[in-house]
Amino acid sequence: MIWSLLALHVVVVVVISVIGARLGRNALWLAAVPMAVTAMWSATRLGSDDVVTAGFEWVPGLDLALEFRVDAMGSLLSVLVSGIGALVCVYAVGYFSAGAASMGRFAATLLAFSTAMVGLVWADSVWTVFIFWELTSITSFLLVGFKHADPVARIAARRALVITAGGGLSLLAGFVLFVDATGTSRLSEITPVTGSTATAAAILILLAAATKSAQFPFHVWLPGAMAAPTPVSAYLHSATMVKAGVILVAVVAPAFQDTEVWKPLGLSFGLATMLWGAVGALRHVDAKLILAWGTVSQLGLLIALLALGTPKATFAAISILVAHAVFKAALFMVVGEVDVRTGTRNINELSGLRRSMPITFVVAVISGASMAGIPPLLGFPTKEAAIEAALGLSGNEFLIVGGLIMFGSVLTVAYTTRLLIGMFAAGDPMTGREVASRRPAMSAPEVILAAGSVLGFIALGWVTGVVRPAAVTVSPDAEVYSLLRWPGLTEAFVTSMVIVSFGVLIGALLARRHVASGPVARGAANADWTIDGIGRLARQVAGRVQHGSLPLYLATTVTVVCVAAVPFVGEIDTDTLYWWDNRAEAVLVLMIVAVAVAATMVTSRLGAALVLGAVGFSIAGLFVARGAPDLVLTQLLVETVVVVGFVVGLGRLATKFPTPTRLWTAGRVVIAGAMAIAVAVALAGSAANPVGEAPVRELAVTAQTEGGGKNVVNVILTDTRALDTFGEIIVLMVVAVGILTLSTKRRRTRPETRTDTPAAGSGPASASARVAPVDEVAR
Amino acid sequence: MISRTSPIVSLAVRAVTPIALLVAAYVLFAGHNQPGGGFAAGLMLGAIIVLRTVAGLQQPRHATWWMAVGGVIAGLVAIGPLLWGEPLLDQVVVTWDVPVLGTVKSGSALLFDLGVVGLVVGLVLALLDGLDATALVDRGRRPAVADSPVDRAATADDQGTPT
Repeated sequence: MIWSLLALHVVVVVVISVIGARLGRNALWLAAVPMAVTAMWSATRLGSDDVVTAGFEWVPGLDLALEFRVDAMGSLLSVLVSGIGALVCVYAVGYFSAGAASMGRFAATLLAFSTAMVGLVWADSVWTVFIFWELTSITSFLLVGFKHADPVARIAARRALVITAGGGLSLLAGFVLFVDATGTSRLSEITPVTGSTATAAAILILLAAATKSAQFPFHVWLPGAMAAPTPVSAYLHSATMVKAGVILVAVVAPAFQDTEVWKPLGLSFGLATMLWGAVGALRHVDAKLILAWGTVSQLGLLIALLALGTPKATFAAISILVAHAVFKAALFMVVGEVDVRTGTRNINELSGLRRSMPITFVVAVISGASMAGIPPLLGFPTKEAAIEAALGLSGNEFLIVGGLIMFGSVLTVAYTTRLLIGMFAAGDPMTGREVASRRPAMSAPEVILAAGSVLGFIALGWVTGVVRPAAVTVSPDAEVYSLLRWPGLTEAFVTSMVIVSFGVLIGALLARRHVASGPVARGAANADWTIDGIGRLARQVAGRVQHGSLPLYLATTVTVVCVAAVPFVGEIDTDTLYWWDNRAEAVLVLMIVAVAVAATMVTSRLGAALVLGAVGFSIAGLFVARGAPDLVLTQLLVETVVVVGFVVGLGRLATKFPTPTRLWTAGRVVIAGAMAIAVAVALAGSAANPVGEAPVRELAVTAQTEGGGKNVVNVILTDTRALDTFGEIIVLMVVAVGILTLSTKRRRTRPETRTDTPAAGSGPASASARVAPVDEVAR
Repeated sequence: MISRTSPIVSLAVRAVTPIALLVAAYVLFAGHNQPGGGFAAGLMLGAIIVLRTVAGLQQPRHATWWMAVGGVIAGLVAIGPLLWGEPLLDQVVVTWDVPVLGTVKSGSALLFDLGVVGLVVGLVLALLDGLDATALVDRGRRPAVADSPVDRAATADDQGTPT
């Protein structure tokens, strides 16, 4: 079933990519189908204990495999991901105007993102997690940059990509250490680990989660990502992608809870983000940015709760994750609808929408109240669980962590209040703005999500039954907890009511205060400056290193090889060295030395090519003497082609080499001599310590039995080590493409403009580096 | 101009072509049991193409096609086994009874080798194309290139010390 669902996703993505342009907005309906099917399948599995797995061994030798495992957690998350995804598709039909361009691309990318996300929440092997993690980064980059003609969107998309993909690198490194520490790549088989490897893995994985889930100071990409169309924000920045980091922290938490860094680092990320996000939400005037900063804040709370690691906190985190996906998606949709129907999202300009947009108003109030944690809505019992987890702490932990979580909750209520008052309460009449008529495709998903917040509270027992098994997969002791509709006058309830009252008060006061414009996004500017700086640095380094002088490249390479040969000096065992196996070898070697030395002295280019050919043919002779017919054949052919090629190519160059300076000649002699010694030393060193007996006999047998051929060399090339050959032919391809590109470019460039291209050639005398100027003369 | 001035070269290359093709094919098929294989066969083909280009009998074209077809064949052979649940690049050996040749044993390795041939030929063609061989052959060499002012300037520039 897992395969069929993923295949359905992929097939529909391809179909939409091909015919999407013709479908227009209707492509979104098509995209909703796989999401709805997945959501329904996952919904039937909610709360059940049975586990569905699917796997595909890709390269067994390297433990590369796609592994999926849908347990209670996986089902819950895929219901959210696919269910909200389907609603977002419907919403987007209303959001975009009838003639909107590139709807096929949008729908295909949205579905591709959804596929990646479903794969991520179902993944069991860490490598599978990594693949889908990166896929979500890439697809979300495409979605944030959907309006690619807009420079703001482009820069925001790049920022999001660099930060989240940078986190992806950290994740890969973290997973490598993770597998090393835990001894398994399966997330379902992990056991608690400690030690330095585990600590390093914990830090790297937390960093990755922090970039993806917009934790301070990596949060800067998320507000910028609001440049995306609102359906994207509603989907990626409420329910799904930003939750990926939270999910990751949840699934690896059992392994790392005992390491020393896990809790403090996670708590620092979480708490700092929770507060800074809430402050940001209070400062902005763009409704969408308020929600974005609010999301940052909520993600901080989730990470903090998961890092806390108590069963109660874990249970609270999973329940808030569910409630948040429902109410935040609805709120984003509301803001999008307000934007579309009034033309602005600025809460200074908006007022009195309560009358003109009644349905939207009701949805906003319900979802906002759920976010603030007010009964009788789903947000209330989940927030209660969090506060109870905070109250359950003791000592300094209670004072700091508990205190901050409560303070953060006050701020959450405050920014929610401010947002709702700013948009919907009566104030100065909106001048010059008409409220456009309602679009059913936008209202329907909003109403469904708002109803979710209400029904979730009514059917709280069912919600508990769904959330608890998911929390148990992270923390087995969480099975004793439930979400309570009416906890009675407990400490937590009283605290919660105090939080709400304070929050509403602060929010109402702030809503009165007129803020002209939101703060300047300094963090984002810094991030962009850093990204640009890296680009500049790379260009400078590349400019220095890639100077374009072939002789210098060669000299550098050869010098490095010489240094690499130094360790072999100690390995040489003079007893293993002897002169020759048969005398023909001696003659051939003398010949090779003679022609090689001659090659350095020839002044004509054609002569040099021929002498080099002679070196090659002599080496082929050496192969004959050693009895290696395959090598002989290949060597002869290569030399032939190379010599003829030289002869053809030399027509472009001056017939003689330019005369080098004394210094450079001396330098070349030294480098060449060093290289000769280095090769001799390396060979002698490795001859002294052969790595076991050469497995010739074995290979000869397996070549016939498994490869079905008598030529061992060829069987090795095409069967035993075919992967190597495959790599080599890819190298050949790259070389050929490079040649073609260079030659085509040269032909297209006009001679006048060409003079500045080989400017990097301030290096020493060189035949090949100087092709371009001479070539000009040849024309 | 080699071809225009020398009918001997032209004729000789023409005469050699079919033999070289036959040898290349033999090397390809023999590769599994005797010296040879895709790389050698590709080079053999490449060599004859170079000769034909020099003799002006042919132009080095379609390098991209050769490479693309070769790459696709090799790639398909590489990932094909995955469809049957076998590991990457797993070999299939087939034994056929062919009328004249008797029992012929062959396998997917031969296809893989064919891909290699395509790539090597493509590389040779790309090289010739990159050197603009046809134009060169047609135009012949210009005498006294080294005496031109630009080359002398370039030579002077070459004397600079390494940076």
